[in-house]
Amino acid sequence: MIRLRSDELSGLSINEDARSMLARAREEGIETVWDRLAAQGPQCGYCAMGLSCRNCAMGPCRVDPFGEGPQKGVCGADADVIVARNLGRTIAAGAASHSDHGRDILEVFLKTAQGETTGYEIRDQAKLTALAMEYGIETDGQAMQDVARELGDAMMEDFGSRKQCLGLVGRAPEVRSELWEKLGITPRGIDRENVEMLHRTHMGVDNDYVNILLHGLRTSLSDGWGGSMIATELSDVLFGTPQPVMSQVNLGVLKADQVNIALHGHNPLLSDVIVQAAQDPELVALAREKGASGINLVGLCCTGNELQMRKGIPMAGNHLIQELVIMTGALEAMVVDYQCIMPSVTDVAKCFHTQVVSTADKAKFSGATHISFDPGRGLEIGKEIVRHGVEAFSNRNPERVRIPDEPVPMMAGFSVESIVSALGGTPEPLVEAIKEGKIRGAVGVVGCNNPKIPQDHGHVTLTRRLIENDILVVVTGCAAVANGKAGQMVPEAASLAGPGLNAVCSALGIPPVLHLGSCVDNTRILVLAAALAKHLGVDISDLPLAGAAPEWYSEKAVAIGAYVVASGIYTVLGVQPAIFGSKKVVNLLADGLEGVVGAKFAVEPDPERSAVLVRRHIEAKRQALGLSFVEPETIEMPELDLARV
Amino acid sequence: MRTVFVRPERCIGCRQCEFACAVEHSRSRDPVLALFEDPLPHPRIHVDPGHAFNTSFPNKCRHCNPAPCMEVCPTGAVYRDADEGLIMVRLDKCIACAMCAIVCPFDAVTFHPQVNGGAPRVVATKCDGCADRVRREAIPACADACKTDALVYGELNQLVKEGRVREAQVVLAAAVSLEPMASTAPETVTGWREWGSAATEVAGRAS
Repeated sequence: MIRLRSDELSGLSINEDARSMLARAREEGIETVWDRLAAQGPQCGYCAMGLSCRNCAMGPCRVDPFGEGPQKGVCGADADVIVARNLGRTIAAGAASHSDHGRDILEVFLKTAQGETTGYEIRDQAKLTALAMEYGIETDGQAMQDVARELGDAMMEDFGSRKQCLGLVGRAPEVRSELWEKLGITPRGIDRENVEMLHRTHMGVDNDYVNILLHGLRTSLSDGWGGSMIATELSDVLFGTPQPVMSQVNLGVLKADQVNIALHGHNPLLSDVIVQAAQDPELVALAREKGASGINLVGLCCTGNELQMRKGIPMAGNHLIQELVIMTGALEAMVVDYQCIMPSVTDVAKCFHTQVVSTADKAKFSGATHISFDPGRGLEIGKEIVRHGVEAFSNRNPERVRIPDEPVPMMAGFSVESIVSALGGTPEPLVEAIKEGKIRGAVGVVGCNNPKIPQDHGHVTLTRRLIENDILVVVTGCAAVANGKAGQMVPEAASLAGPGLNAVCSALGIPPVLHLGSCVDNTRILVLAAALAKHLGVDISDLPLAGAAPEWYSEKAVAIGAYVVASGIYTVLGVQPAIFGSKKVVNLLADGLEGVVGAKFAVEPDPERSAVLVRRHIEAKRQALGLSFVEPETIEMPELDLARV
Repeated sequence: MRTVFVRPERCIGCRQCEFACAVEHSRSRDPVLALFEDPLPHPRIHVDPGHAFNTSFPNKCRHCNPAPCMEVCPTGAVYRDADEGLIMVRLDKCIACAMCAIVCPFDAVTFHPQVNGGAPRVVATKCDGCADRVRREAIPACADACKTDALVYGELNQLVKEGRVREAQVVLAAAVSLEPMASTAPETVTGWREWGSAATEVAGRAS
């Protein structure tokens, strides 16, 4: 095992596995995301402030934030309009990504209902029935396939232009959906809101920054209560609703004596059949023939989260690990679907024997082998891909294998259903614990890795400070992987929590940090928050809840942040979004929104300080609910220490 | 003598040097916080367009020696820094008379409010060669920000030499590629006559 202690590399990641592989990258001159970030520096200030516009050919334009140069684009758009338009398009890109993922699941679900797929079945019939009832579909005495077909058709309508309100908006508390209606931001059609955002941000359409941002919220809601939620719900129906399961995490999950195949991306459609294919006796025999003792599947990013939640498949790492996992020299194949897969993985793979296999026709990579995914031949394609990995084992150079560190155990698999079941079938015990003050509140720590922040530092530090202060943390995406690696997601980690949370978690045998899944699964947080609000007869914005994205990087994260805030949950970002070129936009998002949707954004790069922002917010909400509270301002705010960021 | 050397043919007009310069001369030196400062910081380098499409020139103080601005300053506000030979402005002595700007061969001096102790006051605002940065062996913010190496920092003669070597290589590459053409002499008298009339025609066209 390699243990590297280098001041320079320790600034890039808090984890030994990453540092060890970064040392190898330095030794062997392999370029990584950190090198490319350094080469880009300093990054364009106009773009970083959101002040550049490339939307038309009268431009490109930029507004000088220091007041000396141009204050308007050629069309006349000022800083406020340009920043709002750019933010609107970012939200649309993020919402489109989640929603197109949701549509892909929906299409396979419909084809499965029509008997046109292989390797897929409806695994959670109870969830199918419950969903059908939400959509007003008759289920009594109906064949399951018919119910599924009707539900699929109804959900397809959510993507279109005929509806005035998405089907799953009914899950929000009435007071919340009425507020959306009043503001004119009820999401109507998933594709429609995205298309309308692109329309509005064309030159000469929506020239009012407030109006653009309101539609930004509507667009994000079409993701949170639409595309992403459909992705989560139907993934549960097709692949099973997650139940708590023990698993392992970090690069130590790779096995020196086995064929290692990493499943990377976001969509569980293909990876689920690959799990079946990897158990194929013929392929296992072929692996033995090649000298391997078996086939070891590992997850990366959110495809990894989907598999870990449902099948306990070990997790190799989050976003910033994707290049480093190849540098172990022990990875035969990286199978990718889409989203957050760096184009550079094929370059790193050239330095080793690793085969990169792309599978989605909408996501091709030069330098990768493309095996087109077809749900009609799901299992067959899964086997072909696994065979690719097994064949590559012959090319492995054992002298190049460097698997750093030992894996860390973690518990995954907390769906809303499994949380409620752990509580004894009702959210009441959780509500009671919050009322009594044993648990002060709950926070979703979500989002990506960003090389601008030492990998996982934001996630782990913020989460630790929250649980120490009796705040239950739910995590998804890269934040979940980060906390897993830090050992904060096993039941024994309850001892890291404050006395109240420790007692509750110990009694239930659960960790103080609950893995709610992939980034589309942030909708589980919405569902849980809505259920708690309905249980108490209040709005989501009244609850002692918050969201945080300490290391976000992607457009999807912006869409998530927007729908979380539009749903009434205060959200702290750890990386500055490209909005600071407009004081009006900043003021609206960080202040004015509170009076509109009952929640707002904050930006705080220092996780020690963001923990205090969140704690103050939660105590203020407790006070407003008439629960025991600590005077928010008495929670001491640490001085800004840039070395900590 | 170290300087920021300009290679205008490489400038794409992105104005990132202006942004980086303004941030470097803000109080916070942070790109987000700088936008909330009062008075706002101002860049001391300016990118202005040429006549041809997509051409531009990043213009800044050349730190002349002798420096007309320094010679003409009535209050002695403009002075030469002993370490790096940079032309600087003592804000407390500047009376914003603009004489320095009038005589500047490059129009590189602007006037903006700056804080120097008390309330903000409009004073001569010009490139200080990023004296703080170069003292700690960092390169000036504008050259650091430039993505195309239109602004490069280094020893002046060394940078000139780099250009000279580049040009020598270009000239020689062109000369070598002409050689085979030049060496094909006509083999017959008829050939020489044809060459002569063709050359006369070319010469006639050229004049």
